[in-house]
Amino acid sequence: MSLLALADVTIRFGGLTAVDTLNLEVKQGEILALIGPNGAGKSTVFNLITGIYKPTHGKISLDGKPLAGIPTHKIADMGITRTFQTIRLFSELSVLDNVKIGAHCRGNAGLFQAFTRLPGMKREELELEEKSMEALEFLDLAGKWEEKAKNLSYGEQRRLEIARALVSKPKVLLLDEPAAGMNPQEKAVLVEMIRRIRDTGITIFLVEHDMKLIMGISERIAVLDYGKKIAEGTPLEVRSNKAVIEAYLGSGKFKSRIRR
Amino acid sequence: MNIMQQLVNGLALGSIYALIALGYTMVYGIIGMINFAYGEIYMFGAYAGLTLALSNYVNVYVALFGAMIITMVLGVVIERIAYKPLRRSSRLSALISAIGVSIFLSSLMVRLKGPNTRGFPKLFENRIFAIGDFQITFYQIVIIGVAALLMLGLHLFVTYSKTGRAMRACAQDQDAAKLMGVNIDRVVSITFAIGSGLAGAAGVLSGIYFNAVQPYMGLLAGLKAFAAAVLGGIGSIPGAMIGGLVIGLTEIMGITFNLSEYKDAFAFAILILVLMFKPSGILGRKANKKV
Amino acid sequence: MKKLLNNWFVQALLFLMALGLTAYVSQVINDVLPPYVLIIGLFIGINLIMALGLNLITGVTGQLSLGHAAFMSIGAYSSAIATVNFHVPFLLGVLIGGLVAGLFGLIIGFPTLRLTGDYLAIATLGFAEIVRVQFTNMKITNGAIGFLGIQGSTTFPIVMTIAVLTIFAMVWLEDSRNGRAMLAIREDEVASSAVGINTTLYKIQAFAIGAFCAGVGGALFAHTTTFIQPTDFGFLKSVDILSIVVLGGLGSIPGTIIGAIVLTAAPEALRSLSNYRMMVYGLLLIVIMIFRPYGLLGGVNLRQAVRRAIMLPKKKQTGRGA
Repeated sequence: MSLLALADVTIRFGGLTAVDTLNLEVKQGEILALIGPNGAGKSTVFNLITGIYKPTHGKISLDGKPLAGIPTHKIADMGITRTFQTIRLFSELSVLDNVKIGAHCRGNAGLFQAFTRLPGMKREELELEEKSMEALEFLDLAGKWEEKAKNLSYGEQRRLEIARALVSKPKVLLLDEPAAGMNPQEKAVLVEMIRRIRDTGITIFLVEHDMKLIMGISERIAVLDYGKKIAEGTPLEVRSNKAVIEAYLGSGKFKSRIRR
Repeated sequence: MNIMQQLVNGLALGSIYALIALGYTMVYGIIGMINFAYGEIYMFGAYAGLTLALSNYVNVYVALFGAMIITMVLGVVIERIAYKPLRRSSRLSALISAIGVSIFLSSLMVRLKGPNTRGFPKLFENRIFAIGDFQITFYQIVIIGVAALLMLGLHLFVTYSKTGRAMRACAQDQDAAKLMGVNIDRVVSITFAIGSGLAGAAGVLSGIYFNAVQPYMGLLAGLKAFAAAVLGGIGSIPGAMIGGLVIGLTEIMGITFNLSEYKDAFAFAILILVLMFKPSGILGRKANKKV
Repeated sequence: MKKLLNNWFVQALLFLMALGLTAYVSQVINDVLPPYVLIIGLFIGINLIMALGLNLITGVTGQLSLGHAAFMSIGAYSSAIATVNFHVPFLLGVLIGGLVAGLFGLIIGFPTLRLTGDYLAIATLGFAEIVRVQFTNMKITNGAIGFLGIQGSTTFPIVMTIAVLTIFAMVWLEDSRNGRAMLAIREDEVASSAVGINTTLYKIQAFAIGAFCAGVGGALFAHTTTFIQPTDFGFLKSVDILSIVVLGGLGSIPGTIIGAIVLTAAPEALRSLSNYRMMVYGLLLIVIMIFRPYGLLGGVNLRQAVRRAIMLPKKKQTGRGA
């Protein structure tokens, strides 16, 4: 069953076709990876799904509901949250506040509640705090709740971004190069965390450069080159796919250097 | 009313705004900062020109040139003292510092020359040339001519000189320019010098044109010139020229249609309208949202 | 004890007591201090109310506004019209001033908040100039000559009570779902909408509330000076209020309070320098920015600092160990 579906999605920036008639289905509960050389349009796909860019052509739907014309903030509410390639935290705010803000779309309090501070609002705040601490514990950041986000280490910041995206209990979690800049140990921890997140029932769709990580974690892989999908399948299938090898290493003379 | 006539009036006024706007746009393009004190540099230029002109030893062109030199030095000194220490902090801190400079300069001038409006000495005969209905004064010819010459010079400098190339490189990517061996501090100083010189020239020209110089004249002129820079597309040199001319022309048109009480509002109304529909200004490049 | 303090009714009672205490203490001060000192205190309060509003827009939500004086003037004129032309009671007039200004904040907010950063700043500046020119040309405001004959109803206790009320409201707002959304927008707009924050909505909320505060301040101002004219609300007035916020430390409520006290009192304290005082004021702004670019209290988390100072050992065990 497909949870998130992209049908014939195309986007052009001036003369450049960044994503070209892409058809892709993300199935409920899987870990799907999108790979491709630099500039292949991977992050653009995420920006299309989250409504930051509007597709020139084609449809994107979640659970059968079309996402066309729905603003970014409502898409989060509908159950798609993400992390960013370059970390985008609320860096001057505390770790806990970052996660609390992540659950914004699950709250109800408005200005009236802010100024009257009735017991209902306090209950919501307490629940929010508990949920947020849970998310922090899940990503092993609970001890740092009081720190400013900018004071965390690089790996911790990546994890905090995931916690922030996770706390609203999305259907699909989009991870944009989650392992970028991490050392091997941190990567190992990350892989284990991504699996645990999936085990709570959240579908994972990730863009990544680290082949070892991708091959180890994903159940299916789609490959993008110059905005076009050139292959899709299990890690094993993709690894031996001719078009993929050409895209990554160029055609012809260097083929002999590929390790199988 | 003769349209051509209003066009010339608007052109003369617009040239003055354009000269100040160039300073705003160049500094913004290179260090991303709004130098609010430019209006006061313009005012200083007017006073410098006035003082030189009154000294009897110099003619109008020497006064103009002298005022430009004085404001250039002033601009560089201001940058070194009040802005350079703040280059890496938030733009708001730099903005407040600039406002501090602006308050300091205008109150300094009140101390030096008193708060009253002063006239400009008659430096040359203001002859009127008439072709049929159409009239143009010699002052207007001088203003438009000097402004056009200065802008042409600036254009050639930025396009063809080595320093001009360094300036454009800094506007694109300061860190990359630095790695390529561009001396950022020097480029910023030169930018401030040029911008301030142009504002100083504008001050002298407006002093001649309106026959009035006053310590607080910089505020509204500076705001309108800034509006002109944004209108044209901030960071773009031709944009600042176009923006200045548009604002000058609108103001004159407003006066033509008997709305002179509202003339100070026109610049800003146009500005807001343009920003609504093309937020980056007339010639501004659309900033790509990078996620 | 702690449970009792968490009870809503107890808190509401404490809040009302705090307001009552403020009113009482400022009444006592009012009777003791000489008028020329009181008037400075009164302007500190008025500036504080307006600066807190701007702090919400610029400090908390991160939207640079250079037109706060426009909302102040709208509040000042509409309250003056209400009390003079329609004989509305003073406090209701103040509320009307705030509401009209807030309404304009809403109206202006919708189109301009699509703009970001410096473009928004210049649009608000343009709006303020237009408002000023409009007031100069209106009959009901008596144009450039100025609006005369406003009752001097503003008193020190009233200003102080409203100022304390505003401080409470701002602290509450920042510690709420709405306030966090506003802070998030300041930190990163793209990330904010990615977690489900309707950035336009919260920006407009901040704008309208900030404008309301400016309107209330303007109304109190009008009923202090009893005479207002459009030049009272020029660009430099907007700058005055912005300097308070930036000097104190953007986004910091205690900073704004200190900024309001320092910058309102400074020109008065510098009065002995007579002709040099505006020069010194300008230099002061430059020097403070160079040595404290994030404001006097910028980057200082007072709540955390106080908590660490008072109950460091206990908090560390429960907090860090969790």
